[in-house]
Amino acid sequence: MEGFTVWFTGLPSSGKSTLAGLLSDALRRRGLAVELLDGDEVRTVLTRGLGFSREDRDENIRRIAWVAKVLTRNGVVAITAAISPYRAARDHARQAIGRFVEVYVACPVEVCIQRDVKGLYARALRGEIEQFTGVSDPYEEPLQPEVVVRTDVESPEEGLQRIVGHLERGGFLAPGMTNVRVPTYLVEQLRRVWGDGAFEARLGEALAAQAAAVEEPLHEAEREEVLARLRSLGYVD
Amino acid sequence: MRLLVIGLDCVPPEFVFERFAMPHLRALMRRGSYGPLESVVPPITVPAWACMMTGRDPGALGIYGFRNRQDYTYEGLGIANSTSVREPAIWDRLSATGRQVILVGVPPSFPPRPVNGVMVSCFLTPSAKSEYTHPATLKPELEARFGEYLFDVADFRTDDKAALLRRVFAVSEQKFAIVRHLMTTRPWDFCMFVDMGPDRLHHGFWKYWDPAHVKHEPGNPFLRAFPEYYAYLDEQIGALLEVVGDDVAVLVVSDHGAKRMDGAICVNEWLRREGYLTLRNPPQGIQRLAPSMVDWSKTVAWGEGGYYSRIVLNVKGREPEGIVDGGAYERLRDELIQGLERLGDEQGRPIGTRVYRPEELYPVRRNIPPDLITIFGDLSWRSAGSVGFEQVWTHENDTGPDDANHAQYGMFTAAGLPLPPGELSGMRLLDVAPLLSRFFGLNGAE
Repeated sequence: MEGFTVWFTGLPSSGKSTLAGLLSDALRRRGLAVELLDGDEVRTVLTRGLGFSREDRDENIRRIAWVAKVLTRNGVVAITAAISPYRAARDHARQAIGRFVEVYVACPVEVCIQRDVKGLYARALRGEIEQFTGVSDPYEEPLQPEVVVRTDVESPEEGLQRIVGHLERGGFLAPGMTNVRVPTYLVEQLRRVWGDGAFEARLGEALAAQAAAVEEPLHEAEREEVLARLRSLGYVD
Repeated sequence: MRLLVIGLDCVPPEFVFERFAMPHLRALMRRGSYGPLESVVPPITVPAWACMMTGRDPGALGIYGFRNRQDYTYEGLGIANSTSVREPAIWDRLSATGRQVILVGVPPSFPPRPVNGVMVSCFLTPSAKSEYTHPATLKPELEARFGEYLFDVADFRTDDKAALLRRVFAVSEQKFAIVRHLMTTRPWDFCMFVDMGPDRLHHGFWKYWDPAHVKHEPGNPFLRAFPEYYAYLDEQIGALLEVVGDDVAVLVVSDHGAKRMDGAICVNEWLRREGYLTLRNPPQGIQRLAPSMVDWSKTVAWGEGGYYSRIVLNVKGREPEGIVDGGAYERLRDELIQGLERLGDEQGRPIGTRVYRPEELYPVRRNIPPDLITIFGDLSWRSAGSVGFEQVWTHENDTGPDDANHAQYGMFTAAGLPLPPGELSGMRLLDVAPLLSRFFGLNGAE
C-alpha cells in the first residue's frame, strides 16, 4: 500500500478538523495506517513557539509538509488539517509530497463567524487577536483543489463521501473497496445528529411505511410483453 | 424554486463534455457545475434511476436488476415495476409537501403511481393499450396530440438499421415534445423525464461509429449516427431550456455510461465446464438455460445473462433441490470469485473481472439478492446465460446483436443547484437525492 497525503485547507471553523477526523476514522476502518496532523495539536508540539506572521505560518506549513512527506513515503496516509492560508506554501507541500490530494473546505466567512468553534473570531473581531485568518489576515483559496467540500450546504457525511469517492477513483484507495458502506457508523451518525429518540421514531416510521407497501407483480400477459422487450433490448437473455 | 431534470439514459461523460459538439449543454455547464457521476453496482437502468431518485442503493431497495428472485425456486424471477420501489422517491416527498410534479418515462414507472401532478410511465409499460398515465385522463390528451405513445424503440433487433435509427430519433423527439407540452400546460415545481434514445443508439450503433470496435466496418453508412444524434439531442435540450428560462434550476443527468463491448462470457458454459453446473443432457446447439435442463442434484451454481451476471448457489434447505451445505457456502463463493476473476479472454489475457458478494456492496439487502454479482472485464464484456457455445467466450450476443455495454460512470450537468461551480469530481448517483432534497428544503432522512 502506497501512502498519500490528504491536505485539508480552509478558514478557521470551516470544518477541516471534523472532516479530517471522519476521513481518518473511515480509512482506519479500511485497515489503513493513518496519521492525523491537526493544526491545533501540531502547534503545541511540532511547531511550538511559532506565531502567525507570514514567515511563521510558512514555517509551520513547511514542517507539517515535511512530516506528511515522511509518513507518505513510508506507506502511511497522512491527513493534515491546518488553515494553510497561503497558496505558495500549499503548492510547495504538493510538490514535496507527490501523492497529494488537496481538499478545500469552503465555507463563507460569515458562517464560520457564526460557528466560531473556539471563540477566536469573536476575539479577533474585538481586536484581541491580530493576524487572524479571515478577519485580519488573508486566506488564498486553492485554484485547483482535488475536492471542494462546501460545509455551509453539505453535511460532513456527504463531504466525506465525496472525498472517499475521489480517493477511490484516483487510485489512492485499493480497488474493490468502491462501494463499501459502513452501516453501523451511519447509524451512529444519525443517532448523534437526530438524537436517540428521534432516530427510533423515524426508524419506526420507515419500517411501518415499508411494511405497508406491497409489491404488485404484473399480470402474466403484461409480464410476457415486458420480458420480450427486455430480451430484445439485451437487458436479459 | 423549480427544477427540471433531463434524464439521458446511458450517456457517458466523455461524449457530452468532450467528444460531441453540444453548444446548449456547454452553455449550461458554464452556468453551473458538471462532472462524471458514479453509478451504482450494477450500473443498469433498473435499479439505477430508482436509486438516484430515492437515494437508496440496490440492496436497500431490494432491486438488483430488471429481474429479481421472488422466492428460492429455480423459476421465481419477477420483473421490477413501479410498485417494487418501496422507498419514497423525491417526487413522492415533493407531492407530500404540496409541490406539483411532472414525470415522464422515469424507470420503473409502470403502473403509474399517483403523484401531485402528472405521470407518464416508462419503457417497461406492457403496451400502448395499458393505462400508462396518472391521471388516466392524460392518456387520451397525449394520444390526440402526439399519436401513439412510443415507450421505446420498437423492433430493436431488426437488420434494417436505417429504419432503426429513425425510430431512435422518433422516440427522443416525441419524449421531448410531450415534456414541452406538459411543462407549458401544467403548473409544476419539479419536472423530470428520461429519454432512452441514447441507450438504444449506443447498443444498436456503437460498432458503426467506433473504429476500435471488433466489428467496425470502415466506410459504413452510419459513421455519423452518433455525432448527428448527439447534435439533435443538444437541439432538443436547447429548445427545452428556452421554454423554462434561466430562473429554473436544471439537472441533466445519466444513470450510467457506455462503452464498447468486446464480447460476452458464457457464464453457464463456464460453470458447466468447471463442474459447478450439470445438465441432464448435452445442449443441442445454443439454448437459453431453462431450469428443466439442469440436473439440480449435481449443480452447485448457475448464472444469469445480461450486462453483468448474477450467480446463484444451489443451497441445501434454501433452493428446492439444494446441495451446497451451509458450511461450504463461503468456500464455494471464494472459489467461484477466484475462478471468475482469473478467467481472461480467449488468449488468456486478464480482463479485470470483479465479482462481489452482495454484502460487500450493500449494507442492507432486502428481498433476495444473488449470491454473487459479476462484472466481466470492467463491463467491456457482457454475460451470456445460454449454454451450448463451443467455448466460454463469444462475440455473438445470444439474444442478438449488441455493440455496447454500460460503464460505471454517467454524467451530470447542473445549474441552479447547491453545488460548487465548475467541474466536480466525486459525485455519485446516490448523492443526487440528497442534493435535490437540499434544493427543495425537504427535511428528514435522505
